[in-house]
Amino acid sequence: MMYRYTLVRVKDPEAAEELVQSAFFAALKSQNSFAGKSSEKTWLFGILKHKTMDYFRSSKKNISIDLTSEEGQIHFDAAGHMVPKPGNWHLDPEKAAENNELARVLAQCLNGLPDKFHRVFVLKEIDGMSSKEICNEFNIKPTNLWVILHRARNQLKLCLESNWFNAK
Amino acid sequence: MFKGMMKAFKMSCKDVYPLISESRDHSLPIFSRMRLKMHLAICGLCEIYQKQLEILCRIARSLGKDESKAFEEISLNPEIKEKLQKWIEEKK
Repeated sequence: MMYRYTLVRVKDPEAAEELVQSAFFAALKSQNSFAGKSSEKTWLFGILKHKTMDYFRSSKKNISIDLTSEEGQIHFDAAGHMVPKPGNWHLDPEKAAENNELARVLAQCLNGLPDKFHRVFVLKEIDGMSSKEICNEFNIKPTNLWVILHRARNQLKLCLESNWFNAK
Repeated sequence: MFKGMMKAFKMSCKDVYPLISESRDHSLPIFSRMRLKMHLAICGLCEIYQKQLEILCRIARSLGKDESKAFEEISLNPEIKEKLQKWIEEKK
């Protein structure tokens, strides 16, 4: 379960394995400080969450984002409509999350995002972190955050269409 | 006057797409919110785009939940599991 938690959040399976081991090791080392206020599982996941965040922080200086690049850009026709036009996915948003196969396709699409798009999207949409916290973590302005998220969502939308909705 | 007001509220789809995404990240200023609402009421394509983002984000949120069954069959490398088990026993 810890490995699956990490694998959803970091792209590299080896890094996910290392994070799990490191969280486990830290937990065993500090088991005497476990106060029992929460369950052991919650405590362990708390440590893993910190380790994952540290992993994001340690490599954030090495990644940069070029917002003039093509990635996640929307293309428009002469009438100002998105190309390709958004098609109806015939899916109830309430029930969308019940489709495990679709969720796996989205996870694959997530791995195709550039590193910074990936981290920002994971923190915002998977972990539910606030925009303010993410801006502080990555030292970016809110306007840049909104552009990154917009691009990430577009890229994921196109990827889902190619690999799921239009592929079926 | 009514025509002038309508013109002020009018937005192109090109301007609306980023706002649809942004509206998920922060509370839009009231004027932008009204313009977006008016545009979505008359533009089927933008309404579809909004729904697509909603679906996308809901699936993403579900991936992070404990009860997600999307990766049920994936587990940690058995060698690492064994190593962790040894650590636990050594600490007992």
